[in-house]
Amino acid sequence: MANILQEIEQQIAGAKRGVAKQNVGVVREIGDGVAKIEGLTDAMLNEMIDFGNDIYGIALNLEETEVGAIILGEYTHIKEGMECRTTGRLLSVPVGMGLLGRVVNSIGMPLDGKGPVKSDTLYPVEKIAPGIIKRRSVSQPVQTGIMAVDAMIPIGRGQRELIIGDRSTGKTTIGIDTIINQARMNRAAEQAGDKSYRPLYCIYVAIGQKQSNIVRVTNVLEEHGAMPYTIVLAASAADTATNQYLAPFAGAAMGEWFMDNGMDALIIFDDLSKHAVAYRQVSLVLRRPSGREAYPGDVFYLHSRLLERAARLSEKAGNGSLTALPIIETQLGDVSAYIPTNVISITDGQIYLETDLFYQGIRPAISVGLSVSRVGSAAQVKAMKQVAGRIKGDLAQFRELAAFAQFGSDLDAKTQAQLERGKRIVEVFKQPQYNPVPIEVQVGLLWAVQNGFFDDVAVDKLKDCQAQMSDYLTSRKPELMTKILKEKALSDALVAELKAAVTEFKQTYR
Amino acid sequence: MKISKEARHIARSLYRDSLTDGRLDESKVRTIASGLTAAKPRELIAILKTYERLVRLEIERNTARVESAVALDGAMQQQITAQLQQIYRRPIAAEFGVNPELIGGVRVRVGSDVWDGSVAHRLRELGAAL
Repeated sequence: MANILQEIEQQIAGAKRGVAKQNVGVVREIGDGVAKIEGLTDAMLNEMIDFGNDIYGIALNLEETEVGAIILGEYTHIKEGMECRTTGRLLSVPVGMGLLGRVVNSIGMPLDGKGPVKSDTLYPVEKIAPGIIKRRSVSQPVQTGIMAVDAMIPIGRGQRELIIGDRSTGKTTIGIDTIINQARMNRAAEQAGDKSYRPLYCIYVAIGQKQSNIVRVTNVLEEHGAMPYTIVLAASAADTATNQYLAPFAGAAMGEWFMDNGMDALIIFDDLSKHAVAYRQVSLVLRRPSGREAYPGDVFYLHSRLLERAARLSEKAGNGSLTALPIIETQLGDVSAYIPTNVISITDGQIYLETDLFYQGIRPAISVGLSVSRVGSAAQVKAMKQVAGRIKGDLAQFRELAAFAQFGSDLDAKTQAQLERGKRIVEVFKQPQYNPVPIEVQVGLLWAVQNGFFDDVAVDKLKDCQAQMSDYLTSRKPELMTKILKEKALSDALVAELKAAVTEFKQTYR
Repeated sequence: MKISKEARHIARSLYRDSLTDGRLDESKVRTIASGLTAAKPRELIAILKTYERLVRLEIERNTARVESAVALDGAMQQQITAQLQQIYRRPIAAEFGVNPELIGGVRVRVGSDVWDGSVAHRLRELGAAL
């Protein structure tokens, strides 16, 4: 009781203090979540503006006699002639471990009904990306659990890898699979007490999506036990354009906390096309000049400053990292539209998903020719490099030969063998959703393909054979799998052991 | 009302012409306003509105609106005016008014700066803090 009295006395003492200067303005116009305010001569760019009754705005346009501010939350309560004041604060969101397992909105308020978010640290939403001195090159892998990605388009911690494709080609699924795989690996390391493993925490930022979609994603993550390592930040289609515009920046701030504290985080922006649309709306209502496709002139800077915040920090700066997987939705496969070209040029590579492949049953529908990872190969596990080094080339050759083979029936034995091998590689890379494959099993399977162990299996039976081989390797040869995982490279002894294991399996497989 | 760039530009240059030694010249403002109405240029209303706004903001910048719960005596009024001129280092005209909603204390507004020393404001702050 005495404590409460002391607190109240402190508040009274605070209230007695001298009169402080405030900077105020008067709302002249309000509409579409944007207010034009006369006055506010001391307002800073991106400063929070207090409209009273817990309604805040952000000053985005500082003009000669007016300030243009975007309103966070319910703007219908703001009336013309209302007084507002500057706060001297930049928009900040709660960050920290307390956010893991939670679903929050763009300003970090909980949406999941699990009570208040436990966090005592705030990070500004807009922050300058780490400079060149603090950074180091990418050297540790992000295991997505998707064979095609881990083998051919490897991603490193601190990289920005774009996932691009038409609607319903499996873009979100790649992100969700990656999150599920991280949860699996984090949990396995926790259970084994492996202190050397650096857990990768995930942030899924949903921008402008249907609320039913967000619920579906959250349910999938919960079903697969990924929520304890994941933050879901939702700015649905029902949210204001302001909240949609701020969502990825708020997510990046949450990820930066992990990075600054020497941990690793992965952030998925789903998707930046809708983010650009939300920003276009805000800019047009603020009467900023429009450019190509009516986007404002700084839409490139919008995404470049966001994605620059993904980084791998040096030992001195704490050795943390923030990996970004932005998603872009194309229209009819047009990658030369404004926003896709912008984001392609900003990121360190892209995973391109094709509708045709998707409907041919090749899922994930990754177009190997158009997908690339510019820095990830430096981080790829050596064992994977050994088995998958030639696969991308083999697949490209297969596609070329397959196209050529359509015109002629007489093919020499070598070409036929190449075609048969190619068909099997394509088949091996097919993978159901939400079913990530551990890296050691991927190495075993790819080694088997490369060394012709699947050549005598009919293509339509290959998936079954592959599944059985995976089971065999994990349940009957766990020591071998652990060795591959620990050594991270295929020594002669390990190759011999792997060969013996695969041969033994083939003898039993019917 | 949408005001074109050109109208804004004209209004701004007229406003600059209304200043003498950096301060608003009342006679110049009158001459410009009447001259403008007589000349009837294109977008007259838009120019006049923008000009009026610039003049109003300048007047507000140099005028202090002092509100108190009870009427202030002459000495107090003089003291407040002198202090404001000391802070802003320019002549500030003061307008005094009574606002019983303040309960006690004084609230001063110069342009977009507000010094709120009223009891009502302090109670609001206390309420928010608790």
